[in-house]
Amino acid sequence: MSAFHGFPELPGPEEIPFCKLNEVYCCANSRYGNISTFTNSTRSHPVINVTRDIHHHRTTDENISMYIDVEDNLLKKITSVWYKQGFLEALAVAADPSVNRESQALAYAASYVLKVANVFSAFRYFLQPHLKDIGPKIVANYSRTRNWGNAPIKCIAWHPHTTKMAVATVDDNVRIYCSEVAFVSTLKCKAQGHVSSLSWRPFSASELAVGCEQGVIVWTVDPNSMFTKPSSSNAVVLKRPGHSPVTDVSWSPNGDLLISCSGADTSMLIWDVSMETAVPLRRVAGGGIIFARWSFDASKVFAATSSIIFRVWDTKRWKPDRWCARGNHVVAACWGPSDILLFAAKGEPMVYALTNTGLMSGSQTSKALPVLDVTKVELPSGDTVGGPILDMCWDPTGKYLAILFEESHLVTVFCTTKLMLQLKITPCCFVCGMDVEVPSTIAFQQNFSEGACLTIAWSSGRVQHFPIIYTDTY
Amino acid sequence: METQSDIFSKRLIISVLWNIGLQTFLAVVLVFLIQVDILHPVSWITSTLHDIFGWKMGLNIVLLILVSFFQAYVYGSYYMMPLPKYFTRFSTFLNMFSVQNAMFSVLYALSGYFTMGLYSSLAKSNYNILKKKCDFYDGQCLVEPSLFLQFAGMWMGLYYFLNIHIFGTTMLMFPHVYQDKFQQIKLAVNNILSMGFRNSVMPVAYYCAFYYLWGNKPRSLVSEAYSLYLEDPPLDNVFNLMKSGIWIGLWFYTSLFFVSVYTMRTIFNIVLTEPMKFPIESSSSLVLHNALALRAQFNGYLGAQDLRIMSMTDLARRQQIYTLSQPGGHPRNWNNLLEQCISIINDFSKELDAVNGDGKSNEAEASKLRNGNVSTSNGFQFSGNLRNMAQSPKLKELKDHNKNKQEDTFINAIKDDFNVFVHKLCQKPGINYLFGELTDTKLKFLLMQAQPVMWTCEGLASIAAASLNEDKYGVVQNDLPIVISTLINLKQNLDKLTKPGLVPRKHILNDSFAIKMKTALISSVKRSIYKIAITFSKYIHEIPLDPDIQVALQPFLMCKEA
Repeated sequence: MSAFHGFPELPGPEEIPFCKLNEVYCCANSRYGNISTFTNSTRSHPVINVTRDIHHHRTTDENISMYIDVEDNLLKKITSVWYKQGFLEALAVAADPSVNRESQALAYAASYVLKVANVFSAFRYFLQPHLKDIGPKIVANYSRTRNWGNAPIKCIAWHPHTTKMAVATVDDNVRIYCSEVAFVSTLKCKAQGHVSSLSWRPFSASELAVGCEQGVIVWTVDPNSMFTKPSSSNAVVLKRPGHSPVTDVSWSPNGDLLISCSGADTSMLIWDVSMETAVPLRRVAGGGIIFARWSFDASKVFAATSSIIFRVWDTKRWKPDRWCARGNHVVAACWGPSDILLFAAKGEPMVYALTNTGLMSGSQTSKALPVLDVTKVELPSGDTVGGPILDMCWDPTGKYLAILFEESHLVTVFCTTKLMLQLKITPCCFVCGMDVEVPSTIAFQQNFSEGACLTIAWSSGRVQHFPIIYTDTY
Repeated sequence: METQSDIFSKRLIISVLWNIGLQTFLAVVLVFLIQVDILHPVSWITSTLHDIFGWKMGLNIVLLILVSFFQAYVYGSYYMMPLPKYFTRFSTFLNMFSVQNAMFSVLYALSGYFTMGLYSSLAKSNYNILKKKCDFYDGQCLVEPSLFLQFAGMWMGLYYFLNIHIFGTTMLMFPHVYQDKFQQIKLAVNNILSMGFRNSVMPVAYYCAFYYLWGNKPRSLVSEAYSLYLEDPPLDNVFNLMKSGIWIGLWFYTSLFFVSVYTMRTIFNIVLTEPMKFPIESSSSLVLHNALALRAQFNGYLGAQDLRIMSMTDLARRQQIYTLSQPGGHPRNWNNLLEQCISIINDFSKELDAVNGDGKSNEAEASKLRNGNVSTSNGFQFSGNLRNMAQSPKLKELKDHNKNKQEDTFINAIKDDFNVFVHKLCQKPGINYLFGELTDTKLKFLLMQAQPVMWTCEGLASIAAASLNEDKYGVVQNDLPIVISTLINLKQNLDKLTKPGLVPRKHILNDSFAIKMKTALISSVKRSIYKIAITFSKYIHEIPLDPDIQVALQPFLMCKEA
């Protein structure tokens, strides 16, 4: 029987779901409906819709063509390319006969040097194939956000202790929305490009780590400050040669260590942020580290590589257990209470669980157990759901699991219960967007006391808070 | 009972053993690479093996052992001493000429000489002997390149010593993540090699300049002493020096020397900073709170580090803290631990306060400190319900009275006058430069020792936070008010350092390490308070706190403290 059997029916064409209150699936008209008619729990939550205020002035490759080309002399051209894009690009410019018409000898020499350099780089890519993609391509490749390069919202992160949310938008600004104050702080500095991940520091009200192409930027946003654009003096840039682009950052639950991962770097860096020192953790095999997840009590760290290998590090002695996924690299993983780990491999409609009973960790032959089969099915309403998993989120209490699929526009929420060491997964509800909206990324609020609040960033730039409330009196 | 130096010297010996192993490995690799002969691999390997098991290698290893023991001794003596306090330029300057430093510089020069000689002999260079048979005369001639190299060895030894120990402060840096020793060495190798080859460029350049200017003196001295002739062109000529190619050799051997000393340093750092597990209760070995009591010493660092690790990861030992003693039913483990932690934090915040306030309060603080020490070392106000007659405040007053008996005598008046005079003299411009107190040194000195304080704060906060679920008898919750108020107090003292717009000159730090230390300290104290505040946020009104502490805690409860 399909895992999608037993879900409540999707609302009609003009309606969208707003919340789930004590097993009642509340839907209303998408234009006139209001969540406050059902519940007051998200009344003070920030209302976020980023399309209105995005500034379209980023310098990506697409809109570089809108600037008028100025004829510089050759030397100036080459030096400016060298300065901006590096030596090899400068060589390519010098060797290009359409640019370099003046000096044949230089073009000839440059093309030969370029050939030699290409041999070397080919050899390097032969040894380390994961380095082939550059910069943003790596991030886009491994990002858990749908259409990371063009979606208006690149990633979101809830603060662990208060109702405060950071949103990274397509123009690489990070906005901070807070429940108490009306204004929005916008974080932007020169080094902040191609933002891939956000993480709030636990046991701190102000520190936010932003993973971007150059490295990690740790912002200190004073919650009492009234500046809407904090200056870059509030930011510390942590970078290391070879550790770029950063594809994931995550703080330890104690708030003392920060892990940054780069898809192009085989070592994962553990930062002591205030001392600005990093310890690399590396083991043979596996390629670049895509992302890392801390378990709730900070005793374990899950690290996914760009190959089928993934590791579970023990943080007491910093030693890994090596595991292999079947078929493809791990695309999403989340820890739950009592050290259960759920993960899914790319392109496979299956969720696996790695439980830490003594029996499991003791024997080497143990395997991760499949707990949920989400093979693609067609619902009675005609929508398809299931298929390869894009992202997974487990709420902090371990009761609800939200899954994004690569080929479906529905966010699926499951109820999870742990009975006698066995994880039981039952249907909860679907969340769909208005009209043609598809979900970009999701996150659970960390301090929602009434139940669980799933926040969904839609491809239109709208951010929806979807509370799932369960009261004991019911 | 394990004492302070026991742990330290044990670790030093372990690191020396590691060191000897690695240095031998380095030497073997060098021999192997020097004799590269790809066309005749068999003869290559046999000759390498022959060299490795020859008497020369044995002699070299003995030499290496001596050098590593010497290094261990030097590092040991630097790490064992608490950080030296110098607040004026003059005292810093004077301190450079201590007997110890003079001795060490001679020893370092010797070790540089031997190490260079060792590597050059392993590399089978022709520059190991000073004398050779003359080609044109009848008699002995000087081989100047070997003289050049030998002097260079001493130079490099001295250079390294000056660079690391005199102009830099030798501090043990504890890594925030401790991996296996082998893993750490593997990670460090790359760095050591590149650093060694890069950092050796400058001293070689300096040495060549030195030899160009004064090279003729040692040469004539040596040739006279051994009555040797000179037949090759002299090396204190730029052209000859370049032509001889000896500078390449010098750079290579210097790099090897640096690689070897960096290896030693790295190994010492790795072995010494290994976290140690102290038991909570034990009759035979050093227990945690006693280790903490050693403060700025090496074991104090280990103790504080262990407190933090234990409080975050070690459930079994945390349980031990929350237990009551049998018989008696006192939370003795917790009380001992709390007493040490609180006194570490309080002492630090008092010193910080002394830096914040000016000279006047210094005196008062000092006397308070004296009293504080008495009270903390004996009777802790929350530890027991038994009445302790010997510790009554009246008695203390009496003691103080006795101590401060010498009052307005004539000598004291003169002393005071003299002090005032000295103080005035120190304000004069030229004298002030040498003898005046440097502005940021006091704060810097304090911040350099902040590492154990950070660990203690975090450890204490984690134990307190974990107690909500694990502490059956409520031993920790009883003392929450002191823990909170101590942390808040430290935080308020730290805030004075960063008050916007009001930063006095002495708080402006020029040293990037001290600045980082400051942010690290502030961040860790705030995190500790947050940890307690967030964990106990539901019950915070049931904790009896002073009103001003409650006010200070408010922003933490509302997540408004930056």
